[in-house]
Amino acid sequence: MPFKLFEVDKEIPDREKHIYVKDEADPVEHIPKCNSKTIPGCMTERGCAFAGVKGVITGAVKDVVHVVHSPVGCTTYGCGSKRYPTSPDLPNGGKFPVENFNLKYIMGTDLKESDVVFGGMKKLRQSILEAAKEFPYVNAIYTYATCTTGLIGDDMEAVAKELSEETGKDIVTFNAPGFSGPTQSKGHHVGNLTLFNKLVGTKEPPETTPYDINLIGEYNIDGDLWVIKPYFEEMGINILSTFTGDCSHDEICWMHRAKLSLVRCQRSATYIAKLIEEKYGVPYIKVDFFGPKYCAENLRAVGKYFGKEAEAEKVIESRMKKIQAELEFYREKLEGKTVWVFSGGPKNWHIPQPLEEHLGMKTVAVSTMFEHEDGYEKIKERVGEGTVIIDDPNSLELEEIIEDYKPDIILSGIKEKYIAHKMGTPCMLIHSYENGPYMGFEGFINLARDIYASIYSPVWNMLEFDEMGEE
Amino acid sequence: MGECNVIKKDRNSVINPLVTCQPMGAMYAVAGIRRGLPLVHGSQGCSTFVRYSFSRHFREPSEIAVTSLHEDAAVFGGRRNLISGLGNLAVRFKPDLIGAISTCSSEIIGDDMVGFIKIAKEEMTQKMGEKEAESIKIIPISTPSFVDSHFRGYDNAIKALVDNLAEEPTESNNKVNIIPGMVNPGDTREIKHILALMGIEGIILTDISDTFDSPLRPSATEFRPFYPKGGTTVGEISDSSNSLGSISLCNYSGSAAKSLEKKYDVPSSLGPIPIGVQNTDQFLRNLKKYTDLEIPEALLDERGLLMDSMADLVSRYLFGRTVAIYGDPAISAGIARFVCELGMVPSVVCTGVESKEFEEEMKKVSKESDGPVDMLVGSDLRALETRLQEEPVDLMIGHSDGRLFAKNLEIPLIRVGYPVYDRAGYHRVPIVGYNGGINLIDRITNTVFENFYDAEHWKLQQ
Repeated sequence: MPFKLFEVDKEIPDREKHIYVKDEADPVEHIPKCNSKTIPGCMTERGCAFAGVKGVITGAVKDVVHVVHSPVGCTTYGCGSKRYPTSPDLPNGGKFPVENFNLKYIMGTDLKESDVVFGGMKKLRQSILEAAKEFPYVNAIYTYATCTTGLIGDDMEAVAKELSEETGKDIVTFNAPGFSGPTQSKGHHVGNLTLFNKLVGTKEPPETTPYDINLIGEYNIDGDLWVIKPYFEEMGINILSTFTGDCSHDEICWMHRAKLSLVRCQRSATYIAKLIEEKYGVPYIKVDFFGPKYCAENLRAVGKYFGKEAEAEKVIESRMKKIQAELEFYREKLEGKTVWVFSGGPKNWHIPQPLEEHLGMKTVAVSTMFEHEDGYEKIKERVGEGTVIIDDPNSLELEEIIEDYKPDIILSGIKEKYIAHKMGTPCMLIHSYENGPYMGFEGFINLARDIYASIYSPVWNMLEFDEMGEE
Repeated sequence: MGECNVIKKDRNSVINPLVTCQPMGAMYAVAGIRRGLPLVHGSQGCSTFVRYSFSRHFREPSEIAVTSLHEDAAVFGGRRNLISGLGNLAVRFKPDLIGAISTCSSEIIGDDMVGFIKIAKEEMTQKMGEKEAESIKIIPISTPSFVDSHFRGYDNAIKALVDNLAEEPTESNNKVNIIPGMVNPGDTREIKHILALMGIEGIILTDISDTFDSPLRPSATEFRPFYPKGGTTVGEISDSSNSLGSISLCNYSGSAAKSLEKKYDVPSSLGPIPIGVQNTDQFLRNLKKYTDLEIPEALLDERGLLMDSMADLVSRYLFGRTVAIYGDPAISAGIARFVCELGMVPSVVCTGVESKEFEEEMKKVSKESDGPVDMLVGSDLRALETRLQEEPVDLMIGHSDGRLFAKNLEIPLIRVGYPVYDRAGYHRVPIVGYNGGINLIDRITNTVFENFYDAEHWKLQQ
């Protein structure tokens, strides 16, 4: 039986379909059931669609202010929580006046009971005008539906249209109330469609080159983008737009002018790459920059596309030279250690192979909160025989996985980290990282160092009092 | 004597809020119950964001379940979600108590939580047997997100717990009920320490001191499911009607105490939070009032240690400095009063709520202030930033969210309250009681050393 029912799930047997143990002999279509509604009360780790659009997609844009149309909570939770640093540099050579503006400010319409009864349109209008007044230097205003406004049915589009003219700024409405879709993935999708439909093709870049690319699905988590950007610069390739790490509003508007799109996070952003290809004929390729091997392969692919193979080789050679000694050190320390990767989505297939290939680690379990079928196919292809693949693990399963598979380290999120610690298992952050960036050649060394530091922290050897002492 | 100006923000929108919505306060309250689990009847973000926030602050697990409302529930109602959510949680986690917490969506849809809980209870009885189903208390907690803030959610939750669980009084248990408010584990521990010195047994409604700060001892920890040690038992809450009195430490969380007073004649008092000398003195007088016990020497010695610190430090390092305080209305008012006791001026006190209790408390505090006090009510961090840009102060006291503009304005920030995620251990160090006063005066004075004196300066020589 390739599917497995955990002991803790005997009362919710539907979970069996979500948990698959890889067997080479199985047909391809054997993958965990996914992207379906969560079982109520199962203690899921999933988030909502609003988190998907604001937290993941738009929260990285440097020069817009976000107006959350909600009671105060969604605004509070939407405030600067994901580690998306931005530089003040703008594409026109100017500087945005506030550094890391996207991490510093968030606005909300602060809906009260009377607004729920009589509608929140007036407050939305006031708040957008106040946003334009409070932050006159922003280049656009993004506004979000939430559970409350989705249910009371405010026509946010109408307000946005009217005030775009009045303020002279793009006002973009994202309609992904928290309850829409089974996971935050729904919010990613809405974010892609909205930005494509409303912005792409509306502006022209100040200049273009034959080597312009869109780097799509790269959010600059903990500075990831700033590791890989120099690779492209050294190859003579120009990142015209990043979707959306450290990007400006205008960059999204001229994505149609790139010669090629690279799709980095393929769960959250393949949508827009496809749409741009269909409408503007800009082809896209899927890329992976986690770990030296994937990084090299993908730089070569991009080099080949632009006839810059030699330049790619030069980047790869220089970086490999830089990290080789450290890589060997960490490999010696981490060889044979077992890992469970529990990510939002694609890091399930980005991370395990590099850990195995470069560090000699063994993946015993992988799991995601919101992957879809295509993602699980890739995951299955890349993990070893016998690895358990779990869709949307709940916290009781988390305990059973730790007991049964005894991973030496878990790469996961903050909600899971401390319960793993209570069980005596080191766990480090993989959504927003411990001490990243983790991408690219140099980033992989950071990842290895953090895994090493977690596993080898002396604390794990002294958890319990030993009556016998040292003798 | 300083004047007191009440200032409201000049916008309708909120920018960088100082509060969140009601459900979070209810989750906090339920987390303080032994084997208690919150079940949020809403979208997944409603639980996930709060778990993230708790874990970031306490560096601890935070187990909060959700009924995962999706589109179909938005259209047809969340009946099935709540009933099956309760059932799944009961049968897999076997908690002592489930707090069923409403949200904006379930309130707008109009779900009848009380009715659904009844049906869920029947289903549980069929599935688990009467005895086991009966051992799991399910408490409906109404916390519409679009009314007030998380402080109200906390108050509503404690009241719902007491209203549903407190039994007809039998005979006095000689205990005192304490409603701590949304304070840190270190604060609740300090309150328990004071009670212990007084020789009083307390019923803490509810006690997050161990549940949000639990030891890493795999061999002595309850797993499958994981439950942290500690927390108030359901039995203790049931017994709260037999107590000598109830003290609600924070000015926003008195409803449960009032309810016990009204129903069962348990006398109650509301605030002020025992931060600083006079507020802690008042807390001890309240304890004495209900128990008739003397204040023990050991506590008076602790008070004396605080006096000693103040005598040593205030005039030389702190006197006359201006302070901006922000965050929780009860904690902010308490700190403002302590700041006056330290010879400093609470020039700006900023909170996200509009409450009569807060304003009254602050008016009293301003009478003890050497300079004018600007009270920013129903406000937010952006309004505070703007105010401090125009008129700077020497020090800021508040939670981590003010760190970015504090740095920008070059005003040293002394971290207290919730959330503090960019310092270690602050949830463990009390700011209440005399010991809390000593911790605060040390933290404030050390910040003054670091920011107003050169490290090698001869002024620091002796």
